[in-house]
Amino acid sequence: MVSLVTEEFWEQGNFVARSLGMPDLPRVKLPHPIAGMGEAYREEVAAAVVASIMQRLAQ
Amino acid sequence: MNTATKYLEAQSEEDALELLHELQCTDGLPVIIPTEKRVHDFVLSCGQDADMVLGELGPAMGRATVEKVAAAAVMAGCKPDYMPLLIAAVKAAADPKFDLAELQATTHCTAPLIIVNGPARQDCGPVASGYGALGPGHRANASIGRALRLCLINIGGGRPGVSDMALRGHPGKFSYCLAEAEEDSPFPPLHTSLGFDAADSVVTLLGCEAPHSVLYSDNADDPEDADKLLYILSVGLANLATNNHIFAQGSALVCLGPKHASVLARSDFSRESIQQRLWELTHFAKTEHIRYGGEFGSAFKDDPEGTYPAFKAPENILVMVAGGSGLYSMVMPNWGGAANANAAVSVKVDNDFFCEIPGLSGN
Repeated sequence: MVSLVTEEFWEQGNFVARSLGMPDLPRVKLPHPIAGMGEAYREEVAAAVVASIMQRLAQ
Repeated sequence: MNTATKYLEAQSEEDALELLHELQCTDGLPVIIPTEKRVHDFVLSCGQDADMVLGELGPAMGRATVEKVAAAAVMAGCKPDYMPLLIAAVKAAADPKFDLAELQATTHCTAPLIIVNGPARQDCGPVASGYGALGPGHRANASIGRALRLCLINIGGGRPGVSDMALRGHPGKFSYCLAEAEEDSPFPPLHTSLGFDAADSVVTLLGCEAPHSVLYSDNADDPEDADKLLYILSVGLANLATNNHIFAQGSALVCLGPKHASVLARSDFSRESIQQRLWELTHFAKTEHIRYGGEFGSAFKDDPEGTYPAFKAPENILVMVAGGSGLYSMVMPNWGGAANANAAVSVKVDNDFFCEIPGLSGN
């Protein structure tokens, strides 16, 4: 499992992961915002982070 | 998990206040310093064990013990008499159906509104239900709502920009508490519609937006008076700008002024028929949802004909009576997100164990 977290919510993600006893939950940081930025931008972001996602899934 | 309360040390009350501000343990306003003695007295007054766990509060999943809740009550300026109401409110917030962790974390502006019904309105208050009940000047309303917020901060871990991601919040996040004006209502008390006995005292918690005023100038000579009022209420309750309209779920509160309540009663509306009519009036065209719903607008893309309800069922629209008598009622839409769509939760107030502590009644 990999959580995708935007940079604005990175600290919150860390907080919730600790609270739920999963501090090592794999996370990949995305730029903020993602919502409403259009398909082309989303594809650009996806292309930029896919390697990181695969790397964490393989861990 | 250790539930013991840790007490900080400071040289003076002024230093202690600064320390609490520095540690982000306050709501930004000055608090009464929760000394060990003050907290102990509050615990004693409610007749419960200090380490009794009332529930876990998210997103920190901190255990809300009676002692920690008492500390929040002291900080907020409560009287010991208010403890049974605060304890019920904390239990409601900890109920998984309330979705507290998500409610605290969302970017939406939502805050738990405490609604008090039954004899505890007086016995554990008085909690105001009339003029300005949601405004300043009512100690119980102000401090009970504030104490719950301090629990959400210090036990639930909700801190702005870190774990409470409300983009702006709303003033009700400082305090949001009122009682139903049962004596001014032509309808049975709200809690009886939620399955409780009239003699029970009940706290109902609903995560919702700031109140939106609804103006309707009634006319007893107009045979359509009640229908027009319900239409106006429905416009405020769920319009295209509300989460309930766009998420097509969640709950909301209609807080009728006594005058508006009498308009509906004289046309033989009951709470249930008001809920039913408001539910019918908050059905909307799927085409509007598709056009204005942004990424949420895809929900009906494959079935774009007809209408859909903003609320799953009439019961999701809570109806109560409060406030002074005039031309205004209020509506409070809610967030409607998370696993339980941010449901309202009601908890019976248990004040059987409460005991008066000499010297504390004037606090």
